[in-house]
Amino acid sequence: MAFLEGVGITKRFGGIVALNSVNFRIERGQIVGLIGPNGAGKTTLFNAVAGAYKPTSGQVLFDGQDMTGLASYEMCRHGIARTFQVARPFPDMTCRENVLVAIINRRQSNSPAEQNRLAEETLEFVGLGDQRRTQAKNLNLIEKKKLEMARALATDPKLVLLDEVLGGLNTQEIGQAIELVRRLRDERGQTVFWIEHVMGAVMNAAEKVIVLNEGTKLMEGTPSEVVTDERVIQAYLGHA
Amino acid sequence: MIIDSGLRVSLRHRNFFIVLILVGATFCLLPYWLDDYRLHVVIVSLFYVMMASSWNLLAGYTGQVSFAHAAFAGIGAYTSGILAVKAGMNPWLGVMMGTILAGFLGVCLGFLCIKMGGIYLSLTTLAFSEILHIIIINEYEVTRGTMGLQVPALMVEYSKAAYLYIMLAATVLTLIIIYTVIHSNLGLNFRAVQNDESAAASLGVHVVQIRVLAFTVSCALAGFAGGLYGHYLLLITPEIPSLDQQFLVLAMAVIGGMGSFLGPIIGSFVLEILSEYIRAYGEYHVLVFGLVALAMARFSPNGLTGLMDRLGSRRSSI
Repeated sequence: MAFLEGVGITKRFGGIVALNSVNFRIERGQIVGLIGPNGAGKTTLFNAVAGAYKPTSGQVLFDGQDMTGLASYEMCRHGIARTFQVARPFPDMTCRENVLVAIINRRQSNSPAEQNRLAEETLEFVGLGDQRRTQAKNLNLIEKKKLEMARALATDPKLVLLDEVLGGLNTQEIGQAIELVRRLRDERGQTVFWIEHVMGAVMNAAEKVIVLNEGTKLMEGTPSEVVTDERVIQAYLGHA
Repeated sequence: MIIDSGLRVSLRHRNFFIVLILVGATFCLLPYWLDDYRLHVVIVSLFYVMMASSWNLLAGYTGQVSFAHAAFAGIGAYTSGILAVKAGMNPWLGVMMGTILAGFLGVCLGFLCIKMGGIYLSLTTLAFSEILHIIIINEYEVTRGTMGLQVPALMVEYSKAAYLYIMLAATVLTLIIIYTVIHSNLGLNFRAVQNDESAAASLGVHVVQIRVLAFTVSCALAGFAGGLYGHYLLLITPEIPSLDQQFLVLAMAVIGGMGSFLGPIIGSFVLEILSEYIRAYGEYHVLVFGLVALAMARFSPNGLTGLMDRLGSRRSSI
């Protein structure tokens, strides 16, 4: 049984079909990439899985349970964490407070001392230890993205949905971010589903890649299979 | 539930209680120093402190800008007054009933507004306020409409000093409740919802529950304040749940400093005392408040407390 499975997920917005019967499977402990040209429906798929949208039809099965249509906060409490394409930390709260919000709303509650310890630890993990008292609105881009990841991790998830983490980062920062994603899986036992446009990164870190185009799943396979597939190349370059 | 068990923050919380007790004790001595008129000004200021602080909890900490706060004070006042007059209920019990009813209607209003944000939520609360105002004016048989409802005092022999102590105790209680909420995990959730609702939901925050809870606590506190105030004035009129009062409370919180704990307290005293001075020159206080609010919005959006913070930090950086 797959860890995360989408069965015929369809999402309509009025007359627009954003997702058309998308099927996919992700196994526990994998890092799976989700790629596709702009407008393919990648973030929409994430929203359907994370509870921001309710699918028009189809099912979302997580760890054996049918989670279709649950609200965001319920998805989170079941172990699905997500980051946003444009990092949105709570601007008027400190890094520590940002992470604490995730910690205090966990399913299993902890003592205040334990909550503080977890906040410290999560900030250290992403490298924001000395920014704990900085207001989130005063962080630079890479720091905001790290905070985004720290918050997601602080919810104590089993699956992390990363939405275009690398956008806007320079080469060195990209290296840092990829390393962080690997550590999410290797050190924290997370399964990662990752939307990314920076192809090199996905090909490097992912074991499997799913390709979406215009709301339908084009194909899925290993990074090398996907990169050489004629249909994928056409989808990105457009038709001649 | 105090979120940080670190020593530095515990000291901060302990300091708050110490300051509260010291200030409270000082206020207890006021009946020996002030005449009846000035005591009246202090009592009214305390009422506004309760109102502005509880409004700030809703608007400044969860971002739900309600225009129905004065209406809830009215609910507290009229409930208690009507029960005392029609059913002969003990006014203290009446105040309790008023608080509970205000809290319950706060839950209802909270749920009503749940799909709305920003201006739509404000407009809905405005409509609620106006509807209540109209009902109160028209249900003459029960509320005596614009004539006002005469209600008994909270004690057998009317005493300004006694009312000062009562309002002081009620204000201290209100402030303790608000302080505890703000500095607890619930307070963190409040601010998370205010900063970014969707992001909060993705972190497991039950946004609906938080928003409705904010309404409940805030409105119950307004009802409590209104209930006591009504029995102080001895005459409850539709002036209490009016938009005039609402905007005054709003001005006090905003000019004092929205989203801070001290802001509404400072704003209440400053504006109420200012209002009394200006009253000698006619009804110009509305004009003055408007100008002050404009100046604040332009130069110090965080109100008087923001101004104090900036002066404080400028001095320390020299």
